[in-house]
This record gives sequence, C-alpha cells and structure tokens, in this order.
Amino acid sequence: MYSADKTKKFAMAYIVDRCVDCKACMVACKAEWQIPDNDFRTHIDTGIAPAATERLSMHFLPHQCNHCDDAPCVTVCPTKASHKRADGVVDIDNRKCVGCRYCIPSCPYNARFFNNQLGVADKCTFCLPRIYDGLMPACVTTCPGRARVFGDINDPESEISKALKDAADNRYRVWTLRKDLGTEPNIYYIQK
Amino acid sequence: MTKCRISRRRFIQGTASVGAALASMSSFRLLTGSSPASAEPQQGVTYAQNWCEMCFWKCGLTAKVVDGKVKKLEGQPDCPSNYGKLCAKGNAGVFQLYDPDRLKTPLIRDGERGSGKFRKATWEEALTYVAQKTNELKEKYGPETFSIFAHGSGEHSFVELVEIIGSPNYCIPSYAQCTGSRDIGWALSYGKAVGGKEPVDSQNSKCIMLLGRNIVEALHVGEMQDFVEGVAKGAHVIYVDPRFTKTAAKANQYMMIKPGTDSALLLGMINYIIEKEIYNKNFVDGYTHGFDLFKEHVAEYTVEWASQITEIPQTEIIKAAEKLCEAAPHCYIHPGRRLTRYGNDTQFTRIVACLNMLMGNWEVRGGIYRTVGFKYDAPHMVHFDKPYADRADGAGSEEFPLGPKNLGFANKLMEHIANQDVYPLKGMFVYGCNPLHHHGSTEMVKKALENTELLVTCEIYMTDTAWLSDVILPESTYLERYDPVISTGRRKGYIQFREPAVNPVFDTKGGWEIAAQLSAAMGHENEFLDVREYNRLAFEALGITEEYMKKHGVWVANESTPYPVEDGEEEPSFRTPSGKAEFYSNLCEHFSYPPMPSYEENPVPAEDEFRFLFGRLSFHTHARTQNNAWLLALHKSEVPLWIHTDRAKALGIKDGMQVRLVKEGFKSNPCTARVVDYIHPQAVFLPYGFGHETKGLTRITGKGARTSDFTSNLTDPISGAAGFHNGFVKLEIA
Repeated sequence: MYSADKTKKFAMAYIVDRCVDCKACMVACKAEWQIPDNDFRTHIDTGIAPAATERLSMHFLPHQCNHCDDAPCVTVCPTKASHKRADGVVDIDNRKCVGCRYCIPSCPYNARFFNNQLGVADKCTFCLPRIYDGLMPACVTTCPGRARVFGDINDPESEISKALKDAADNRYRVWTLRKDLGTEPNIYYIQK
Repeated sequence: MTKCRISRRRFIQGTASVGAALASMSSFRLLTGSSPASAEPQQGVTYAQNWCEMCFWKCGLTAKVVDGKVKKLEGQPDCPSNYGKLCAKGNAGVFQLYDPDRLKTPLIRDGERGSGKFRKATWEEALTYVAQKTNELKEKYGPETFSIFAHGSGEHSFVELVEIIGSPNYCIPSYAQCTGSRDIGWALSYGKAVGGKEPVDSQNSKCIMLLGRNIVEALHVGEMQDFVEGVAKGAHVIYVDPRFTKTAAKANQYMMIKPGTDSALLLGMINYIIEKEIYNKNFVDGYTHGFDLFKEHVAEYTVEWASQITEIPQTEIIKAAEKLCEAAPHCYIHPGRRLTRYGNDTQFTRIVACLNMLMGNWEVRGGIYRTVGFKYDAPHMVHFDKPYADRADGAGSEEFPLGPKNLGFANKLMEHIANQDVYPLKGMFVYGCNPLHHHGSTEMVKKALENTELLVTCEIYMTDTAWLSDVILPESTYLERYDPVISTGRRKGYIQFREPAVNPVFDTKGGWEIAAQLSAAMGHENEFLDVREYNRLAFEALGITEEYMKKHGVWVANESTPYPVEDGEEEPSFRTPSGKAEFYSNLCEHFSYPPMPSYEENPVPAEDEFRFLFGRLSFHTHARTQNNAWLLALHKSEVPLWIHTDRAKALGIKDGMQVRLVKEGFKSNPCTARVVDYIHPQAVFLPYGFGHETKGLTRITGKGARTSDFTSNLTDPISGAAGFHNGFVKLEIA
C-alpha cells in the first residue's frame, strides 16, 4: 500500500533556533502511533553551557531516528525486519521482528526502544504512511515553532531542499550527528 | 470530493511562512476531505471541528475519528489562534478523553466531607438533589448566599445559573488570579485593557522585552509562534527573570533580577531614557498626558540606584534601555501575564505601560497592535433579570471602584466565604476550577469549603475541590460536546466552532445542558437556549452556515488593519479622561490612588528562607493536566524544585535529591531538587499544579508540592486582584 517511491529520498531538518523545547512533537508522535505511555519516538534534550562561561546559554536538541544510509540497525538485524527502503526510510517490519533487541544498542543515536506492548523494536518511520497520504509527519505538522522541515531532498522544490539551500546560501551552520561514525544520517541540523 | 477552497490570497500567505506551506496545504486536504489523488479516502474515518480546552488559548483543532474513536488531533491551518499547530497539551487531549480516571457518573457525597465516600447517582437524582438543596438555602439565607467560581469555555453556563438564582457573586478567577492587575493598570494608562490575547506584535518586532512573561514555557501557541517568528527574523530579545528559563534561551540579553525588584529596573530605565532624551518625542509630545510631572517624579530613580536594588549591572540596564529606543517604535515591553506578584501589581503595570509610552509603539508594527474585532448581533443564550444585592467581594464598590463586577475577585470572595463576614455565603458552585490550587492560601480555602453548606462541582476529573464537594456533576470533555460559538480578536477577528467528535464516553453532559437542567429542576422558568439553537442563530447573524463551520471550524471576518496608526489611517487615540496615553493618571487621581507609579519595596525572606516563585511548564496547564499520562511521561512524573547551587550546598542538598518545602511547620510532599547556578539565590521555583491530595488522580496524587500551600495571599489595593509571590519557605531533605 505504501511501497517505496524510488525517485524520492526523505530527510528532515531541524532549524534549531526555532525549537523551544515545548515537546509538542513528542506527544503528537505518541498520539499518531499509540506509543506506550512512557516511550517516545522523538525527544528533545536541553543543553546548558557550563556556569563558568560569561554568558549563560541553553540550547535544545531534538532527535529521533536518523534514517541513516548506512544504518547499523539494519546491518545487525538477523531477520531483516529492520531495512532501508528505496525512499530512504529505515523501517521495521513488525511481522519479521523477533524482539531480539540487537538493533537497540547498535544505534549510535539511541533512537530505538523496545515496545513492550507489541514485543518489537520501535522507532520513528518518518510517519509512513502519512507522508504517502500527502501529509507531513505528525511532529512537523504540530511543531509550533516551525522548527522541523521535512521532505524529499531529490526534489529541489521541496521545503527541505529549500531550507538546506537557504542555509548554504546564507552560510548557516549545518551539521548531522556523529558524522565521524560514517552512518550517513538524513537528519540535518541548521543554526543561524 | 470537495473542491479545495483556498483563495489565492491565503495561499500566498501560507507560502510566506517558512516551512509551513506544505504542511498547511496537506492538512487542509486532510481536513476538508479533499485527499490527494494518490490516496483512497479511508473508510470509517471522519473529522470533527473543535477548539482546544487543554488550556485557555482556544487553538482551533480538527479531531480525526477512526471507527468511532478519536485517534488524533491536529490544528486548523486557518485558525488565527494557532495556524495549524498544537502544543504538547493540545496533542494530549486524546488521552484525556479516554482517561479511566475521568469522572464517569454524577456523585453525591455519602460520608464525612473529605472522606472521599460518594455514591453514584443518576442525573435525575443528582439534579433534583442540587435543586432542592439550593432552594432550601435560598429560602434560609437569600439568593446572594450563592457563589460560583468558573473558568473555561462553559464558564458562563454556571455563571448564568447563579445569576438566575439571584446572586451577584460570580467570579471568573482569571481576573483576580491572573490578568486583573495588568488589565486595570493598562486601562488606567491607555484607556483599554490588554485582553487575554495580548496584542504584542512579536513577529514584526525589532526589540522585545519580557518580564513577567515566560512566553516559551507559559505557552500559548499563537503568542509563542509570533515570538519565534520575531526571533527568527532577528528581533533583539531582552529577558528579565530571577531564573534562566527556556525563554531566556532565546534572548540576546538575559538579566537575572533580584526577585521582587522589577519595578526598580523599569524605573531606572525610564529615568535613563528621559535623561538622555532618547524617547520617542513625537509620540510623547503629541499623544501623552503628564510627561513633565512624570519626568520630575522619576528623577530620583537613577540607573545607579536601580542597579543597587536589582543587582543588575548598570551597563546592562543602560544597554536594555538603548536597545529599546533604537528599535522604537517597533518594539515593546510585554504587558505581562499573571502579574499577581507582590500585591501592588497595578502600579507595577503602570510602570510597564509608561515605559511603552516612551517608545510610542501604539498600533504600529512590532509594537502594540490593535486587536481587530468585528460586530455581529450575537444571540442571548439566556434571559433573566439582573440580581440586585451587592457583591460580597467588593468588586465595583467604593473600596474597589475599578473592580469589574462581571469578573469579581475570586480571592476576596473566597475570604468572605471563609470568614462569613459580609453576609452568609453558604452555597458554592465550582465549574472547571480548582480553588484549592488557585488561591493564595489553601488553609483559607479549606475553611471556606467547611463553611459551605452546599458545594457543587462541575468537572471532568476528581480534583482536590471535587473531592470535598457534596455533589459532583461530571462534564463531557470538549471532544464530546457542543459549546456556543466563540468570537475572538487578534490581528484578525474570527469565529470558532465546537462539535462533538464522539458521543460521551461516560455518563456525562456538557455544561450548558447541565445548567439548563439544573435551572429547570430549581423551578426557574427555563430560558436557556439549546447550544445548537444558539449556534444556528449566531450563524444566521453572521451570514454563515453550520456546514461551513463543520468543514472549516473557523470563520475569519473581513480584515481591517491592526496597525491603523502606522498605516496612516488614524491618529493615536485613547479612552482616558485626557484622551491621551497617561503618564499621570487622571483616574488614579480621581479615585485617590497615586497618579504616578513609585518604587515600593517588597518584603524580603529571612536569611534561612527563600522567596517562593511558581509558574508554568510548557506541557502543563494550571492544576488541570498533571494527571495526563502522556504529559507526565515528558518529565517522568518528577516535580522539579529549582534551587541555587550555593544555597543547596549550605543545606546539604544535591541535584536530584528529594526535598520538602516547609512553611510554618507545614511540609510538602517530596520534590526533586534541581540544583543550578541560574536561579537567583534568594528564590526557589516550583512548577504550578502538583501536590494533589485527592485520591481520584491515580497517577499524580501525593507527588510534588501544591503551590497554594506556600504562596502569599495579598490583595492589590487598586485592582482587587491577588498577590502570590511574597510567600517565604524553608527547605529540608526528604
């Protein structure tokens, strides 16, 4: 029903200046996917500059599955339940997942958790099938600060392509998490 | 399939906001049922329009219903309250709807008050019981013996019921406990109250100064969206708070102020701006009253003086003043919200207003915009004669001539119920309120409840107040009921519509239905309209249809400019006695209040005490959402208590330790110490809304501290509103 469109490559960017750590994304995702009460597929961390710095500063770091091009969770999965789709989404096939949990510690981004209700590994899917229904992922739709931008980076007209181009043109800081690990993440951070 | 009705103009507006266009377009398709060609319409899926009731900002939302169950809530893209967005609380509305902790049937107390023993009752039984008791009390003490504390979209259902009974003692606590002092202070200065949707034009502002407004955590979606837009466009943000909050994280300049000295900071800035003559002369000369007197009056408040009082370096104070003046008139100093600080808050708000006046930011972009409303012949929900007795709380009396009789002083009324010192106040109705959490003194509220012969609570949860009630009438949540349409003004005027997404999950009714049935049971000629009939009349008056509202949820009126002064359509005008913005308040003089605001020293805590500060988290509202499992999970059910590192060290408190607040021998439940450098050492901070006693909130009862156990209970001499932040506490390790 939602087979991967090979022409697309989905990615997300957080414009971190716009994040206020309100946690709307976390709850919207929970509602959309009926995640067990104490688990979340996306998180926001708060970081505070050490007190010794002259000027106090606090930053917010949203994070979730990075949908890596070279995903360790896919490599370690013994049943191929975790797989990389042609549209870039790292998905879990619940029918194939045997709950061995290898994937959970293999993820350098701590993006996976064990869903006790379903007995399977769980994580962000970029809101398949919402995105094939022409919607944005739940976290993007709800984000009051409009910090989250999602779309097909193969399409230069998509919001995310525009956001990344805008960031490049204006020389904003753009980075991915733990680039050194070579997992090739598809979540970008943009900061002015 | 419905045709997509996006006008060209709206489409352009949509694309103008970064990252929003696609989301809104897609959601629009979803909401209107006009799905993209690739997807089949889903079977068993319907949508219902509503506005959120998780807080009081009233974000427009659409409920997605799958096979008769609400699955998901999403913002209405066109609603000017929130433009398609919902916060964490809004998203958690689904959990509330199906929460097994909800009140499920009417309950009548069947044991000692506070024993928690209730018997289940049918609606007929409960309504008859309340009606009989009400009529008995009315016979015995007169109709004015009744009071009502009400907040939320259904508040007027019970307010009008109490008016029908014949009592003037109705209170909307948001006046006394939240915005009252601010609105009166603003009215004295500009001739008009600020209003619940503060008209600060953050999205176009070049400089924003916030004090008394933690805009990011005391989160109202629309206001916060505007703020983030302003920040993204490069507004210079000045934030003042004894605590480094998430709003401070977005600020260019953060000033840690000594708690209780905000007015000194502003007076120092005012003095500097006037001395240096960097104020907006055009505005001050042309459109203000009493500037020369004011200049003389503030001459003593030098920056040096302000720095000593506030503990903020002079350079910082000067920098803030200069940044504002550089940006003027496209800047604002936020009027503040819940300015219930130290019991002299109307005069503090006057200082805020005067500093704004120096900027000349009236009805211009980036300053204070004009709320755009619209007129229509709104139908009357109910007809009755106005009551004649005097209010017990003194609102509108000689003592408090500026106190609005239609809002009342919840704090004063509760005191008079506790003391029974004006006339017998024996019957209390509570709608959507939880006085045990919302007042300055829990002890006083408990005494009031003890003195009440009939306490009726209309609620969706077993709150602390419901727990002590005689009768509990369970209300349907916003997702299960109709409510009369509401009209709101921001930069546009608009109408919002609420319809049930699902039938009531439990044996509950909407507030209007309950009030109407109670009124009938009491033997009053029942003149309440049915909500749907009211809405039909409203739509007729507006020239729209229910079908339109069922599809869109919101109707936006014709636009006029929110910036009439900047757009050259009007000269600045003010509904004050002088017709100008008043540095020197004629009304204050008339009522024998100081016509110009001065610095007043607030009480300070002893060496071993802390000033007790409280406020919101971005994911909880007042004391009403703490039991929501989805929201609790966001903070792992922990209730943080902020304390400065040095003070913690002296007490042997380490980060993460369990600590109790202590005041006059009374101890709170344990809270989790958050030991940080970025709170003023003289204060501790606790998020509002925890420490519930009731056994009916299974997830949160007994966790954390109840703020009203530790706050001060003062009354502002001008507005009559409450002052909370002169409560002083000690800490001990749990």
